[in-house]
Amino acid sequence: MNSLGFSDRSAKWLPALIVAGFISQALLSSRLSQWVHPEPFDAQGPKVDTKVTSILRAVGFLSGYKVLVGHAFWIKVIQYYADADNSPDRYSRLYDYCSLASDLNPQFIPVYTFGAAALAFHLKRIEQAEHLLQKGILSNPNETRLKLMYAAIAYQNTEKFQQVIPFLEEQILRGDAPDMLVNILANTYQKVGRYQDAIHLWRKILKDSDSDLERVEAAQKLQKLYAIVKNENSDSHR
Amino acid sequence: MRKILTVGLFTFRELVRSKMLFVWLISVVVLCGLAFLLSLLSYGDILKIFMDLGLVGMEVSGLLVLLLSLAVTYNTEMDQKAIFLQMAKPLTKEEYLLGRVLGFFAMNALVVLGMGAVVVGLVVLVGGGVVPVLFYDCVVFLLLEMLVLSFLGLTFQMIGTTMVGVVLYSFFTILLGHCVGEIEWLLSKQLAPAARFLLQVVYYCLPNLEIFNLKDRVYDPTLVLHWAQWQDVLLYAFAYSFVVFLIGWISLEKREFK
Repeated sequence: MNSLGFSDRSAKWLPALIVAGFISQALLSSRLSQWVHPEPFDAQGPKVDTKVTSILRAVGFLSGYKVLVGHAFWIKVIQYYADADNSPDRYSRLYDYCSLASDLNPQFIPVYTFGAAALAFHLKRIEQAEHLLQKGILSNPNETRLKLMYAAIAYQNTEKFQQVIPFLEEQILRGDAPDMLVNILANTYQKVGRYQDAIHLWRKILKDSDSDLERVEAAQKLQKLYAIVKNENSDSHR
Repeated sequence: MRKILTVGLFTFRELVRSKMLFVWLISVVVLCGLAFLLSLLSYGDILKIFMDLGLVGMEVSGLLVLLLSLAVTYNTEMDQKAIFLQMAKPLTKEEYLLGRVLGFFAMNALVVLGMGAVVVGLVVLVGGGVVPVLFYDCVVFLLLEMLVLSFLGLTFQMIGTTMVGVVLYSFFTILLGHCVGEIEWLLSKQLAPAARFLLQVVYYCLPNLEIFNLKDRVYDPTLVLHWAQWQDVLLYAFAYSFVVFLIGWISLEKREFK
């Protein structure tokens, strides 16, 4: 036995064991970080909006309770939007607040839908609403509600149809798009003058839809589109 | 093995007698009540909010029990010299330490699982919701975190000379263990050599608690959790616990009981 109370044999292998264990845990820690933090903090692009600085962001990221801080902060955002005292400056900090709430809790969909709806339909700050929804879609690629909202906002904002079409087409090609999204795409095609694509989609709705109302609407739309195409053709023959 | 189990059972009973299960009851009432209140105040998916906050409650109650257990047992074992009774028995110091860890972990696991059962029960039976698939993985990760922290806390107990010191060491290690991801990010920046060295030492010595932090990603559709990840996490948890245990063992051997 040595002075520490270990047998001489234990005293020999104990330091080696500690070093080996330490190295293995250090190696595993580095390796696992790539899984826990799959992307470098800087490379997260629109997911983490570094323009919005806040003590809460730091507390959330450092404490390991990001989601808890995110939920608590989300209540503050709702209170901010519900407070009429903030209306004179048109809720100027709403986007920043929503952006921070989404950084803290990227999988909480109401932050994007509520924030984008308020920004686009009430405050008419379309670009901020789109940016918020883009963040949401990047963090939640399978979330249909966000794409639907994005499409709806772009549809509302009549000058940006060309930008919304690829988003809608991608969603519809995946096969799980709601009927409303197909309707929006068909209307968008019509707005930008892609009548043949619009006719193709309305025919699809007329054929596949379970709803009588939708089939009636599709038939009416097709009648109008055929008339437009016919007029265009006759104009070009002249 | 039998001796370790006996010490573990003794420790577990000691913690139960110290009213540690009341912490669980209080946590259930306070944290679940708080989660319920927050989910009502908020706008959005109430069950999702409740589940998120319930998972936080599970971790917080586990940590609370761990810190309180460390404080209580330091008082009885070290200050009131109850450790003399254990050391007088035919029991090696590593068996004693492993048994203590086992008892601590059993108490922590009971509190975490008890809290989890309440959260699941409320979500499914009262809210009529569905438990996310990653919830169960998250609970296992929490238990692994508690295992690592039990080893760490008891090692601090063997090293520390005061109860306050032991609790503070443990508390700040837990806090800093969650910052490991941000320390790694800092290390990728341009830093002064001394600062870089210091950060590297901190990075490799601290337990990487973010590895066990699945509660922030329970609803993350991009999270992949296959056997390879499980293997790495389990290996890490046991490797870190092993090193900490050896340090605790050496400290216990060195400690003079007068």
